[in-house]
Amino acid sequence: MIEGGCLCGAVRYKANAEPLVVRACWCRLCQYIAAGNATINLAFPSEAVTITGELSDYESMAESGRHMHRRFCPACGVHLFSEAEERPHLIIIRAGTLDDPSIAVPSGNIWTSKAPEWACIDPHLPQFEGQPPPVGTSQK
Amino acid sequence: MIAGGCLCGAVRYEANAEPLTMRACWCRFCQHIAAGNAAIGLAFPRKAMTITGELRDYATVADSGSHMHRRFCPSCGVHLFSEAEERLHLIFVRAGTLDDPSIVRPSVVIWTAQAPKWAKIDPDCVRFEGQPPPIA
Repeated sequence: MIEGGCLCGAVRYKANAEPLVVRACWCRLCQYIAAGNATINLAFPSEAVTITGELSDYESMAESGRHMHRRFCPACGVHLFSEAEERPHLIIIRAGTLDDPSIAVPSGNIWTSKAPEWACIDPHLPQFEGQPPPVGTSQK
Repeated sequence: MIAGGCLCGAVRYEANAEPLTMRACWCRFCQHIAAGNAAIGLAFPRKAMTITGELRDYATVADSGSHMHRRFCPSCGVHLFSEAEERLHLIFVRAGTLDDPSIVRPSVVIWTAQAPKWAKIDPDCVRFEGQPPPIA
């Protein structure tokens, strides 16, 4: 079982599956959510994740064209989840909210064309300049 | 003039001074605010900063013992500022909120003892395992 929550403890979650993929995202929106850095994201099957607590939803259209819902705790402002209307079988969890972030070893970097010059990107990992191919397509 | 704001545009700021320091922080708190990564912070003299828009304050005592106020936009959840009651002459700005993040060049990495093993840390940066000495 993988567990986590926000800073103030108002939101908690459990995932009873392994992440499908762990990636760092350098898109400009993620830099806002990650205090200037890349977000570290874990994708899970939506059905595997149980969430408790109130969430606020920041809706936007992503650069990929998807209708995104980025959910954060209204009390401490920590972003926990991201979901795309076009891909309801997946939920993205922000790695900083894991009780044990050491499990969130990134396997690649995406949207590297938007990364700042100082970005420290592991040269041994796959890189995508923009949006990568979908994960979990077979479940669509 | 250095300007920035949150994702939804409800909060905007302007700084009429150069940043005193730019640093990456791997403390466990910052990992929550930075989606699992280090938070990139720019310190400015507080008097150089003008802020408009509603902010929500998440108040805590930091590992350093300082009484912190981390301020975010209640509409989009973007964290913009951090202030310590013990150092009211300073305000830290989260680098992702700058209109032009290309001006950022972190030179110091702090709280490396709390970084995950997979963290990529710039070898050219000065490192502190915990809290660094005060900058001003």
